[in-house]
Amino acid sequence: MTEYLELDVRPILAAGGEPFGRIMEAVAALGPGEGLRLLAPFRPVPLFGALGARGFTHQDREIGGGDWEVLFTPTAGPAVSTTEAANDRWPIPLMHLDNRGLMPPEPMVKVLGAAEAMQRGEVMEALLDREPTFLFPQLAQRGHEWRGGFDPDGAAYRLLVRIGTGS
Amino acid sequence: MGYFAAALLSLLGAEALMAAGYGYPADGLRDPGTLVVVHLAAIGWLSLLMCGALFQFVPVLVNRPLAGAGLTLPALLSIVVGLVSLLSGFLAIDGLLETAAPFLPIGGFLLCLGFAMAAVAIGLTLARSRPLPLPAAYVAVGLAGLLAAASLGLVFTQVLGGTLSTPALMGIAARGVPVHATAGLGGWLTMCAAGVSYRLFPMFLLSPDPQGNGTRLAFMLSAGAATVAVGGGMAALLAGWTVPGVLLVAGLAAAGAAALYGRDVVNFYRGRRRRELELNMQIAVLAFASLGLAVVLAAPLAALAGGERGIAASIYLVAFGWLSGLGLAKLYKIVPFMTWLECYGPVLGRTPTPRVQDLVSEAAARPWFLLYFASVWAGTAALAFASAASFRVAAFGTLAATAAIIVHLVRARMLSDVAASQRFPEGALRPSLLYSIAPGGR
Repeated sequence: MTEYLELDVRPILAAGGEPFGRIMEAVAALGPGEGLRLLAPFRPVPLFGALGARGFTHQDREIGGGDWEVLFTPTAGPAVSTTEAANDRWPIPLMHLDNRGLMPPEPMVKVLGAAEAMQRGEVMEALLDREPTFLFPQLAQRGHEWRGGFDPDGAAYRLLVRIGTGS
Repeated sequence: MGYFAAALLSLLGAEALMAAGYGYPADGLRDPGTLVVVHLAAIGWLSLLMCGALFQFVPVLVNRPLAGAGLTLPALLSIVVGLVSLLSGFLAIDGLLETAAPFLPIGGFLLCLGFAMAAVAIGLTLARSRPLPLPAAYVAVGLAGLLAAASLGLVFTQVLGGTLSTPALMGIAARGVPVHATAGLGGWLTMCAAGVSYRLFPMFLLSPDPQGNGTRLAFMLSAGAATVAVGGGMAALLAGWTVPGVLLVAGLAAAGAAALYGRDVVNFYRGRRRRELELNMQIAVLAFASLGLAVVLAAPLAALAGGERGIAASIYLVAFGWLSGLGLAKLYKIVPFMTWLECYGPVLGRTPTPRVQDLVSEAAARPWFLLYFASVWAGTAALAFASAASFRVAAFGTLAATAAIIVHLVRARMLSDVAASQRFPEGALRPSLLYSIAPGGR
């Protein structure tokens, strides 16, 4: 039976705060096999992908008043080998793109377009069919950093881009 | 782009000579005129095209930048000057050029030098990326074929040019032509084309990468065929065994490899997630069909039309249907893509840009590709039936089609098919016809 640590981010948001850091701290502090019970004033969709990338499945339900409860449950192993996402200096991705099944160079265009809308230091996660060889020079030219790798089952290439200074 | 331009000009030249009735079948298979046409096509067109494509795509195959990128321009110059010199040497033998200059030995030397530089750049890139993914392994075998073909060519030119007269080398020159041709067309060009297609086709079709025993067996058979043909062929030359026997063994292995490769190609098309095929992928089907025809028809052609005519028809089909057809189709993808990336890459996401497919006009280009393949197949039949007149008509068809396809490539490069209003958004770069500023892009 999974033990859940409870984190209520509603007060943080009500005070105009930014809960992402607290959530990631809480996740980092979880023991093996422990899960997270998150209480939020909206359905925190971006977290599903971010914590999914770190090996958590989620169950969400509305608990009234527009508030949501989400149970993040650890799976047996991490969902990706690219534990890059867990690197402490990279914030969790704010932007999620699923570019699988798009005809090249459409995935590249979408990543670069999304990057323009983001702030320095923010991170985007993109799912791709292949390693984006032609994208890397474009990212480098614009001063962005990236990390990426195939998921263990080889079904998707997971790319993380940290927005840089721009050029 | 310089490689591609030099390659396309060579192709036009070779086709014009064939249309004019120079070389085989009007002349003999080993006459100087035939040698001019064959080397213009094999070195000037196919090998330069392959080198240019490999400089672009080997970095993609192994995910690291090209080693020795500084060698690409000297290699191009050396190969082009070497080729001109080699052809001049053949013309001198033919009596069309009166000169005492030792063009053949110089040409052989410069070609060897140029191809060695190209092989070093590609080979180093591969060597630093071991273990090699399957497509890159094909290219590695192809490079070995290139070096074998070039070294044999060097021996031929020195012997024919009179700079070497060792009996052993003269023996090689007398009997080594089939090994030279097999190493070049089979080892170098076909292996590299297969390798590159193993990576590019899943990419263009959005189909799963091939894996499994059939794919590995295809590689082992084709690598084995290349080793037997080139290694065994060389050994046969040195030891005085029968060369055709060795090549027959290699040919059987190659036919098996071609069948398995064909199965993988069919799976690329079947397993694709993109239903609508771009023109370059539709046309590539005709190139694969040509390879299949060449494999299936090789034996009946040899039996019906006799050895020399059968060989000529088969080689023509492989060189112009399979290798050239695939090359032209892929250029129609590569040139627009590289141009798009070069011109619009810096502003992608910042301002609306044309799509890659806006750079080409597929409907206008399609008939010319169809004419190209129809002419090549007609030309193959003309060779098999030894009809020199029909062959010239067919060759004229390939010439006209190629010229039109080149016009379409130049239009793509110059962004002529892009609506003028969106051709140059703020910050976009203007393309130069020959020089590409993209990484490794000359």
